[in-house]
Amino acid sequence: MALHVPKAPGFAQMLKDGAKHYSGLEEAVYRNIQACKELAQTTRTAYGPNGMNKMVINHLEKLFVTNDAATILRELQVQHPAAKMIVMASHMQEQEVGDGTNFILVFAGALLEQAEELLRMGLSVSEVIEGYDMACKKALEILPECVCSSAKNLHDVGEAISLIRPAIMSKQYGNEDFLADLIGQACVSIFPEAGSFSVDNVRVCKILGCGLSGSSVLHGMVFKKEAEGDITSVKDAKIAVFSCPFDCMVTETKGTVLIKNAEELLNFSKGEENLMEAQVKAIADTGATVLVTGGKVADMALHYANKYQLMVVRLNSKWDLRRLCKTVGATALPSLTAPTPEEMGRCDSVYLSEVGDTQVVVFKHEKEEGAISTLVIRGSTDNLMDDIERAVDDGVNTFKVLVRDNRLVPGGGATEIELAKQITSYGESCPGLEQYSIKKFAEAFEALPRALAENSGVKGSELISKLYAVHHEGNKNMGFDIEGEGPAVKDMLEAGVLDPFLVKYWGIKLATNAAITVLRVDQIILARPAGGPRAPKGKTDLDDDDDE
Amino acid sequence: MMPTPVIVLKEGTDTSQGVPQLVSNINACQVIAEAVRTTLGPRGMDKLIVDNRGKATISNDGATILNLLDVVHPAAKTLVEIARAQDAEVGDGTTSVTLLAAEFLKQLKSYVEEGLHAQTIIRAFRTATQLAVKKIKDIAVTIKKDDREEQRKLLEKCAATALNSKLIAGQKEFFSNMVVDAVMMLDELLPLKMIGMKKVQGGALEDSQLVAGVAFKKTISYAGFEMQPKRYENPKIALLNIELELKAEKDNAEVRVNNIQDYQAIVDAEWTILYDKLEKIFKSGAKVVLSKLPIGDVATQYFADRDLFCAGRVQEEDLKRTMMACGGSIQTSVGSLTDDVLGQCELFEEVQVGGERYNFFKGCPKAKTCTIILRGGAEQFMEETERSLHDAIMIVRRTIKNDSIVAGGGSIEMELSKYLRDYSRTIPGKQQLLIGAYAKALEVIPRQLCDNAGFDATNILNKLRAKHAQGGMWYGVDVNNEDIADNFKACVWEPAIVRIHALTAASEAACLILSVDETIKNPRSTTDGPPGPAGRGRGRPHGHPH
Repeated sequence: MALHVPKAPGFAQMLKDGAKHYSGLEEAVYRNIQACKELAQTTRTAYGPNGMNKMVINHLEKLFVTNDAATILRELQVQHPAAKMIVMASHMQEQEVGDGTNFILVFAGALLEQAEELLRMGLSVSEVIEGYDMACKKALEILPECVCSSAKNLHDVGEAISLIRPAIMSKQYGNEDFLADLIGQACVSIFPEAGSFSVDNVRVCKILGCGLSGSSVLHGMVFKKEAEGDITSVKDAKIAVFSCPFDCMVTETKGTVLIKNAEELLNFSKGEENLMEAQVKAIADTGATVLVTGGKVADMALHYANKYQLMVVRLNSKWDLRRLCKTVGATALPSLTAPTPEEMGRCDSVYLSEVGDTQVVVFKHEKEEGAISTLVIRGSTDNLMDDIERAVDDGVNTFKVLVRDNRLVPGGGATEIELAKQITSYGESCPGLEQYSIKKFAEAFEALPRALAENSGVKGSELISKLYAVHHEGNKNMGFDIEGEGPAVKDMLEAGVLDPFLVKYWGIKLATNAAITVLRVDQIILARPAGGPRAPKGKTDLDDDDDE
Repeated sequence: MMPTPVIVLKEGTDTSQGVPQLVSNINACQVIAEAVRTTLGPRGMDKLIVDNRGKATISNDGATILNLLDVVHPAAKTLVEIARAQDAEVGDGTTSVTLLAAEFLKQLKSYVEEGLHAQTIIRAFRTATQLAVKKIKDIAVTIKKDDREEQRKLLEKCAATALNSKLIAGQKEFFSNMVVDAVMMLDELLPLKMIGMKKVQGGALEDSQLVAGVAFKKTISYAGFEMQPKRYENPKIALLNIELELKAEKDNAEVRVNNIQDYQAIVDAEWTILYDKLEKIFKSGAKVVLSKLPIGDVATQYFADRDLFCAGRVQEEDLKRTMMACGGSIQTSVGSLTDDVLGQCELFEEVQVGGERYNFFKGCPKAKTCTIILRGGAEQFMEETERSLHDAIMIVRRTIKNDSIVAGGGSIEMELSKYLRDYSRTIPGKQQLLIGAYAKALEVIPRQLCDNAGFDATNILNKLRAKHAQGGMWYGVDVNNEDIADNFKACVWEPAIVRIHALTAASEAACLILSVDETIKNPRSTTDGPPGPAGRGRGRPHGHPH
């Protein structure tokens, strides 16, 4: 029983039956580190262009095939408290910059792995943390020096495409040129001359069938809906948008129509019909040719819409309605009144089309003027399309990040090696015990090019030594050449493999923070899970097209 | 003391990873393909599938079979999905796409086991697919659209090829004619919905007929129906969405009366409202009244007295098709029954078809729609016929939209196989082996055609390879003579788009399955269910015990 670690006497008695309690290096810290390492191991093989996909089946039996770390983690339902912290850090990254989630996991995992060695060497936790803190600060100081280029003009489609390409490359290797092309066009067309870029303005519409190469981009929006009435195509449309149902008004208060004599009864339905006709006619008289409604469409209303040649489209989602308003420049009206010319939107063509065997309604702008552009993704399986959608998300986010900060650092492990090199030399200049941890921090950076290499079937150590060699010669843009045979290196600036500065910046910062937080924990107390029926699961449906 | 294991994931989560996992996924796909393998081609066999409610389906349509199989294996599901995608996009070739994807994976299995990196394989496959698609586009024969005669002949041949592999292959000429006629009647958009398909049990297959217009089964009728005439020439047709019955005007209306006279007046008023509607319809000059909603006793009697025909509770799609065929529009109010909202046709009649009575609208002025009435013995048989015709219709539609064709019967696959093999010899490295594997996998289609027909596949494939090497581009399997033949001359034609889509989808699916190296299965989130079934992936369990 040499390994037995005595518990704090009496501590367990203070807690309720069933509560768990761990403390100390052996029980808490190492276990936490191990958990995080294991998690990082799972996502590590998904890192980079040659990363492998994971098949994740979530608790709702929905299948995901992806190499997007954020998605994997979200569906994994990580339970270990320490591992959860890393997951949270990667979520933060997703929200902050939208890309580089896997970077966090791999890097944080590597940091913790190195920390374990230090702790076993005899360093105290606080010394490790201090060293990591210093190293992190230094790394962020050095990082601006690594900037090798910057995006000059994001309104230029060609340039945007070349910048989005690396982000897509790590998700859809082999299709990056085609996809980056689409995303680049979509992003640039909706990026206003002045003002900010919103990720939400690039929509994705997935339609089963054909192949990826059948995908296209168009200005405007595409909805998987059918037109309600007989009119299925309108050119140069004026659009009236109503958030209410296309029906006669009903009172909210429960009311009863009181009929006193036969005449009233006779006139009742006639009156109702006339009222409806008047309403629809009023709308048609304003020149509107397309009517979009957020609620159900009454038969009677549709009848008059057909009569007055109005195309009726029904959108169930409020978000869709709002986006449509934005792209056509309309104001959604809460009640069925005739819109003023300012409240009406316009669009070059609105038509019903068949893609595969799916009916879609397309709101299309001929010129690049719409505030929203849509990527129509085709693919042979749902999973594939889901994965492409995530790649598109990453690409669009990259563009967004570049709008905020146009600096670029070399990718392909070049930045990491440069940082590792400089931090090592910095560590050597530090007198205290933190020197060890600073050097380990530098070593942790090696995990990223190593993962890139190993995922491509190249020996990691060989590559890293090669990279160090060229970096010492002063070529700080040299990174791993993914297409070369064996551990080849290449100038990343020339190859055009560039990452946005902010992705790396936040990645290093958040990963270090997460690692430090995990290290700081020396006690874990788990309360006994409450009995009774499980709390209802939140809505985890990922197709958040309609509800974000 | 053993250190307590670290539990990162929720209890019951099943993970498996690594090469064994990949191989296990590939094996699962083989099993799926095995299920549809024997259905390929003219000599393919049918499958009888009984679902959990005891409903029997006989089919040799790949997509139908896979849909009914209720596959749960995550990787194998991918194959089901590509079959579905193929069905959605081109409507035919669902078996080929599944077979191809499975064969791709089978050929790659040895490479994966040898430790070749999956991404290398994927890259090679993408290249190969691009080349193959380009080659198809190069060699595909384009039809001249302007020559009506020729186009029609070609469409018939494509339809016949599609029907060749189906249950109704014996009547393929009869049906290919019918299918082409049907599609030619549609407008440019070729909406599938505008071809109605009705099944009437009894009679022979050849008794099936195509109606240039609309036909639907007699709806439930009320008293007085018998007295209505069943035949009109040049009638006007009112299409309604109105309930012609005594009913409450509004749900939340309330009537308060003070004396008995008022009460009588109210009752009269209700009748007046109904008679008012009926009179308006009668006055409009319509002879045939169709409504989506019920037409009651009173109305039926009223129309019968005035020499009108009526049918209530008509299916919405039938009503819409009638509208497309006869013109007019569906009215929700009788307020404006003018001439332009009434439809018209040359002949309306009610006819006995088998044991059912059918309403026919013939000689429609717009006739952008048609109806196929299928006759046949067993119900399953007719369902399969319907699916087969659906495939044929889709093929004809595609051919009209994309006007290039290739020869079927395995000839295009052999040609692509030869082309890719030749290409692979010009490049160095691993890619050469992989593109070679792709080329080999393509041969599965002619091979399976032979196997299903009971021929010696090895022998026929040898002949085919030799012929293709000599430049006989369109040589494929000749199922009638157990030999090879120029299938282009033999008029076994398919739209090029079917092949292009099949190749793209199959290789996309294969790449997707290859790119997965780990499966993580969370337990189902049921409150009382068992903690998830045992792992299906036979791969090595993840490094830590649960």
